[in-house]
This record gives sequence, structure tokens and C-alpha cells, in this order.
Amino acid sequence: MTDVSSLSGSTRDMGAQLFRARAHSVEVEARPRAEISHKPRNFNPPLPKHYYFYLMAPAIAILAFISLYPFFWLIIMSLQDVTIGGGEWVGLKNYTKLFTDARFLEGWVLLAKYSIMCLGLQVGLGVTLAVVVNSSRYEKYLVTALLMPMMMAPAVAGLLWLFLYNGTFGWYHWLLQSAGILDSASILAGSNTAMYAIVLVDVWQWTPLITIIALAGLKRVPRDQLEANMVDGASPLRNFFAIILPNLYPVLLIAVLLRFMDNFRFIDSLLVLTGGGPGSATKILPVYLFEVAFKFFKLGRGAAIALTLLLVTILLGKLLVRVFEKPQGGKG
Amino acid sequence: MATVTIRNVWKYYGETPAVKDLNITCPDGSFVSILGPSGCGKSSTMRMIAGLEHISSGDILFDDVRVNDLAPKDRDVAMVFENYALYPHKSVYENIANPLRLRDVKEATIKERVEGAAKLLEIGHLLGRRPHELSGGQKQRVAIGRAIVREPKLFLFDEPIAHLDAKLRAHMRGEIKHLQRTLGTTMVYVTHDQLEALSMADYIAVMHDGELQQWGTPSEIFNNPVNAWVAGFVGEPAMNFLTCGIKGEGDKVSLMHRNFEIPLLAGQVRQLNGAAQTGTARMGVRPDALSISMTKPDEAAMRGEIFVNELLGGDMLVEVALDDCRIRVKTTPEFAGKPGEACYLTVNRDKWHVFDAGDGHAYF
Repeated sequence: MTDVSSLSGSTRDMGAQLFRARAHSVEVEARPRAEISHKPRNFNPPLPKHYYFYLMAPAIAILAFISLYPFFWLIIMSLQDVTIGGGEWVGLKNYTKLFTDARFLEGWVLLAKYSIMCLGLQVGLGVTLAVVVNSSRYEKYLVTALLMPMMMAPAVAGLLWLFLYNGTFGWYHWLLQSAGILDSASILAGSNTAMYAIVLVDVWQWTPLITIIALAGLKRVPRDQLEANMVDGASPLRNFFAIILPNLYPVLLIAVLLRFMDNFRFIDSLLVLTGGGPGSATKILPVYLFEVAFKFFKLGRGAAIALTLLLVTILLGKLLVRVFEKPQGGKG
Repeated sequence: MATVTIRNVWKYYGETPAVKDLNITCPDGSFVSILGPSGCGKSSTMRMIAGLEHISSGDILFDDVRVNDLAPKDRDVAMVFENYALYPHKSVYENIANPLRLRDVKEATIKERVEGAAKLLEIGHLLGRRPHELSGGQKQRVAIGRAIVREPKLFLFDEPIAHLDAKLRAHMRGEIKHLQRTLGTTMVYVTHDQLEALSMADYIAVMHDGELQQWGTPSEIFNNPVNAWVAGFVGEPAMNFLTCGIKGEGDKVSLMHRNFEIPLLAGQVRQLNGAAQTGTARMGVRPDALSISMTKPDEAAMRGEIFVNELLGGDMLVEVALDDCRIRVKTTPEFAGKPGEACYLTVNRDKWHVFDAGDGHAYF
């Protein structure tokens, strides 16, 4: 591969070198193998680097404007006490204060609880549904039906469930109360039940996403492996855990990543349903961030919380990828 | 070890029949090859034996026990798939151990059996690897290892060596045959390669269009094909066919062509049995049942013109143009004829065949 560097040095010589390489190779053919002193030239030398830069420049410029610029502003804001018309540098005070902020720490705990419940239920239900749909004759219709909750704007979904949960005329409220599971208090007003209620909404709306992704994964589970395992003596259940699930890992990773990041960001339906209440029973961190930044307009502190949230999201994402990639054992 | 009986089996995919009224009995401990081109129903047949495919009608019996309604795991068969079907997330050891694990065999026994199978197949050094780290031949050995680690009633091999290169394929043919002899287990081996079937099997079932064409030992299939289709499918290079007229009466009958007339042997006239004495028939001659010379040897020789010579190492294959058709002859590499020269072909009449011009069944 030493030839490549000599080629990429000057593009002007390229044509001449190619020509020489061709003439050279004809000459080599006639000689015995041991005497070949030059490897054949690389006929597709890499293009000079600046060429790629010009091609990507417009995209980089747009990306920088809509994404990088606000990001750096966020960092600057997190180091300031921001007021209308300007800010005052306060160093890391916004961050140090977070550690003594009980609401902030509680927000993390609630967020963890919320995310784990949502993900667990969605993955479990989603994969089960995918298996059912995959083996059904009415797959096409079921997929269409499943997609419907996802089509709805999260805020609208929140409003819909608000009616269902309503203490006076809500259908679910009535149902649960008739079954004797719920005492008279409203679902969303109970500090125990409110969390489950918002989890249920998220599960209702987003389980189909996991189902669709898992369904795509099921389609590429190699049939011959399933059959080999059946002949080897596996029952359908063991077949699922031995062949189907390992083959689903890569797609499930994508699904879980998407959902976990969404859980850290999407609070539309939650704001409509409980707004973080009752008390702060459902005030998961993003809701608290929303309050600090846009209700109390403490933009500096808000920025600090947002950056912390971002950092944790990235770290957890990395961790998740590592955990999921392990059982694959590096395929090709 | 089991006798496998396939009795009046039909397989339909929707409205399309893939296997039509199949009847086969594989004797205990025998190596049976199901041979046919793609789409002939051979794989469907094997999958029905394995229990992977529903049997539309008819019965499959292992030792007189009907297995139609048994799940694959309860049939006690071991199968090797065309694409090996190894489990990519498991090591070679775990792949081979899988059938034993699924039967809750003791760990010590598993270790012993897996290592025994690996030793037999010479893959002991690969046990720690993953399937993606193996070559095609090694993967195929692992797949076979997974089949032999248990002692099943029946082996099912579905074109297991079709994806190997030619040299390795030739080597594995011997290995698989030896393995089957050593283990003594009944084996059903599906292939589209007539050479594999001829060289390995005790019995061959030739299938075409979902129907069993012929059942017999390799030499029966090769020397006494029941119809023109079997004769054309089995043998490499393929049999030559020529449509001829039949002329004569009594015990003097000969095959007529524009540039030759060859009398039948006395026994063959009887076999023809007056059936098509006035009509036409198809003559079938294998390339090695013909001899070629540059001078006219006798009256019955066919005159042709050399079209092309192909040197196949130890043999020479000469393609001769005979009016509008081509005939291939196997001869020695010393043959000196050049393309374009006239030559004469003599048929070894002990080894030729005559088929009906209509349905193609063999008179002899």
C-alpha cells in the first residue's frame, strides 16, 4: 500500500502514473512470480481530503447554525445568571446548587422509575405483540391498527386519556372503581396512581413502535436456524429464547435507545395529564427542567439541568449499546 | 436406526402439487439418495420426513410407526441443512452440544460426546470458535457434528456439500459415505448432483416434477434407466439422444437414420416386442459407449464431422456433428482428429438404449 501515498501526493501525476502502471503490468505477466518487484498500482487512489470538505461544507454550515450555535449558547447560559437583556457570569454556581436541590434529585429518581417502567412494559408487550402479529394471517390489518396511537400528537393523546381518567365521568375511573381496585379518589390525583397512569399512556402510545421494529427484526430471523433447532429437539418456547431473541437483540437495541431518549425528552402528554402533580409525584426531571426554565425563567439553572440531562443520556446510551452488543459476539 | 417408509405421500402448496403419490421404502441402515433437479419435490419430501412440512396426504412411517403428527423434536431425526444453519451467537462447542442440551443430557456426557464427534470430524481445534470464524468446509463439518452427536434414528442431509468448492466436495463425498458406514444409521441424502448420488448412495430415488421416476441401486439407475429423462439426467457427460426410425420385421430389426442403419441385437429385438416397429424411437448412447475412428470400420458406423475437441485431462471429449444434431464421444487424449475432419462412430450395442418416441419409457 505504499504506492497509494505516492499517488495521492500529487493529482497531476496521476494519469501518467496510471499509464505507467498499466504498461508495467503487461511486462510483469511474462516474468516468473518470484521476480515481481512492484505490487500492482492502486487504480482507485483516494481523492484529496479537501474535496470532501467542499462537498460537506453546506451541510456543516446549516448544522452549525441550527444545532451547534444553540448548543454553545446553552453552555454559556449555564455559567451565567441570565436575565432579560443579558447575563452575569457566576461560574459553576448553577451546577453546584443542583446538588443541594431536593427537587432536582427527586426528579432523577422519578425519571428513572418512569423510564424503567415504560421500557420494561413496552419491550415486553411490544415483542409479544410482534410475535403474535407475525404469526397472524391478518398481519397487514393488525399493523395498520397498531400504528394508530403513534399517529396521534402526544398532547392530544394526553387530553384523550385525561377524559378517560376523569374522576367524574372517566371510563377507566369508573371501571376500576366498579372492580373495587380504586377507592374514590381520582386516578390522576392519587400520588400513588398518578405515576402508573402516565406510564400507561406512554405504553399505550409507544408500544406499537417497539412492535413494528421487533416485527421487522422477526422477519430476518433465519428460518433454517429455527428449523435446525426444532429438529435438534427444541420446543417453540425454547426456540424463541435460543434463536429468535438473540437475533432480535440488534433491532431491540435501536428500539430501546429511541424510547429511552424519548422518555428523557417527551413530556407533552405528561404536562397535559398531571403537569408534574399531584404535589411532585410525577415531576420527572424533564418536567422540572421545563418549570425552572419556562415557568420561573431561571434560564441559567435550566441550562445547567439540561446539560446534565444530556450528559446522562449520552452515557446511558453508550452503556446500553455495550450491554446489547455483547450477546452478539461481533458478527462479521 | 430405522426403516423409513413413505406411503402414497402427496404434498400440495396451495393448488400446486409438489410431491405426487410418492412411495419409497428406505431399508434400515441404508444410504438413500433422493436425486432430482431443483423444484422436483426432493426437498419437500425431506422436510416432510423431518416434520418441518405438513403432509397433505399419505403416511410416513419409521419402523412401522406413523410419524405424520409428531413434532420434529419427537421424531428423533438429525438434519444437516444446505446453508449449515449454525447458530451464530454460539461457539462451535455449543452448536454441536445443542441437541444434547435440549434433551437435558448430563454435562459430563455432553463434553464426552461433543469431543468424540469433533474428533471424528477432525474439528477438535475449532471448538472454541464462533461460526463466522470458520470456512465453508469447517462450517459444514460442524453442522454434521451437530447431527451425529446424538444417536438419531435417521440422518437427513439436504444438499450439505452443494456450497463447497469442487475439490472439497469430492473429499467430503468420501467422508460422508465413510461416516454413514461407520455409524450404520439410515441416511436420506437429498442432492441435485447425480455424481454425488451415484458415488455415495446404496439406493437412489430419482424424482422429476414431484413424481418418483426410478428407484434402484446406482448401477441400476446408470445402466438400466427406466426412461429417457432418467437416462439424460444421470451420467456426466450426458447421454446422447437421436431420434431414429425403426425398420424391419421378425428378428431382424434395425434403427434407421439418414446416414446410418444399425441392427439391434437378437435379445433387444425381443425387448422391443414389436411395440414400435413401424414408428420412430429415440436412441440413447452414453459418450463412453461410442468409439470414434477416422476410417470407416464397418457398415453400421455413423459418419459425421468433428465439431470440437475438449481435452479433459485423462480423457478427450469429441463433439461430432451428425447432420443437424451433435453427439459427444469419449475417447483417449491421443485421438488425432481435427475439427472439420470426417470421422466414423461405432456404437457398443451392449450398452445402448432405445426409448419410446412418445412417453420416453425405455425398451432396453
